[in-house]
Amino acid sequence: MSTRMRIVERRIGEITILQLIGRLELEEGDIVLRDAVNRLVEAGRNKILLDMKEVTRLDSAGIGMLVSKYLTARRSGGVIKILHPTDRTDHLMDITKLTTVFEIFDDEEKAVRSFRASAAGV
Amino acid sequence: MPQTPPNRHILLVDDDRGLRHVLTALLQEAGHHVETAGDGPEALAMLGEGSAFDLVLLDIGLPSMNGLDVLARARELPSPPLVIVMTADDTSATLLEAVRRQAYRYLRKPFPPNTIVEVVNEAGTPAAALSIEVVSAKPEWLELVAPCTLEMADRIQSFVMHLEANLPEAVREAVAQAFRELLTNAIEWGGKLDPNRKVRISCVRTKRLLLYRIADPGEGFDIDRLRHAAIMNPDDDPMHHLSVREEQGLRPGGFGLAMTRSLVDDLIYNEARNEVLLIKYVDNGGSS
Repeated sequence: MSTRMRIVERRIGEITILQLIGRLELEEGDIVLRDAVNRLVEAGRNKILLDMKEVTRLDSAGIGMLVSKYLTARRSGGVIKILHPTDRTDHLMDITKLTTVFEIFDDEEKAVRSFRASAAGV
Repeated sequence: MPQTPPNRHILLVDDDRGLRHVLTALLQEAGHHVETAGDGPEALAMLGEGSAFDLVLLDIGLPSMNGLDVLARARELPSPPLVIVMTADDTSATLLEAVRRQAYRYLRKPFPPNTIVEVVNEAGTPAAALSIEVVSAKPEWLELVAPCTLEMADRIQSFVMHLEANLPEAVREAVAQAFRELLTNAIEWGGKLDPNRKVRISCVRTKRLLLYRIADPGEGFDIDRLRHAAIMNPDDDPMHHLSVREEQGLRPGGFGLAMTRSLVDDLIYNEARNEVLLIKYVDNGGSS
């Protein structure tokens, strides 16, 4: 298979931003994403923002992993939100009705603020 | 799982000296050993010298000898290398001839620099040696039979979508996504990812529609028992099927049919549901 999806990780306080780069597809990026989120949640870092601007391809397995890891984070008391979906990603999330599940942002600052607002009960 | 690909011994054949230089540098940086040739006769001489090339990167528009003829000769060698065709000629006739002559992949110039490294790395996997049987290679009817591996899905999708290069981008993307989902389903669930089992793909095109038929070697399925698929979810719970998948020990997913139905105009299964027709209207009423 092709070069694996890469993830660039950075932190803003208790929020972890994962920048996904490459193909989020079956037996490609889906495994990389699973491992990254599991590691963070196990370490107690369960407020995660996925920056999807550089996701070049997304399939149903990739979408499935997004939702599965959303549930992983939620069960630990955290949350996963989406940042910068491409038009194609946005369309696929729309037709699978996942826009009703995920909070989706086009602005990183607003996304980060939303975690803090949630924590403050706003 | 993706694996670290082995370093490859590559013959790069292109009459563009600048491109040879750039691609050689990229591939060497990725750890591959690269030799170059500027035309077909030189390439065939190098291939015939007993050098064990794993892979040939081959331009089609070569001086003195067409790249397609080099491809045919290369594939007749006792231990034929895989051949990746690179060309600015994106006519369907050229692509289909490359498919017929067992090109491994087809890259349309210009391509992003990292594409060549990705495709060469893919060619390093054991599944790359599997071949595609060409049943029909007419522009209006392409029919292929291929082993059930995920790598094969990449190769077939690459060939098929190059044929659809003239479609509006939104339509092309929708068709590519839907085709990919159904082909992956056929290979994973129908073919059990077993390279000894085969999936049959037909792509028929008319002025007004694109029709893809995918027949897998499985027994089919009962749609009423697809509790693990998103299409069975209640309207207000798009994640309902995930708990079923967890109970059944299935990987996360199940959105393929729901996505595909939204991306094409018609999706028709046979009675056993091991063959599917995907239809997209491309004239007078097609949607994206």
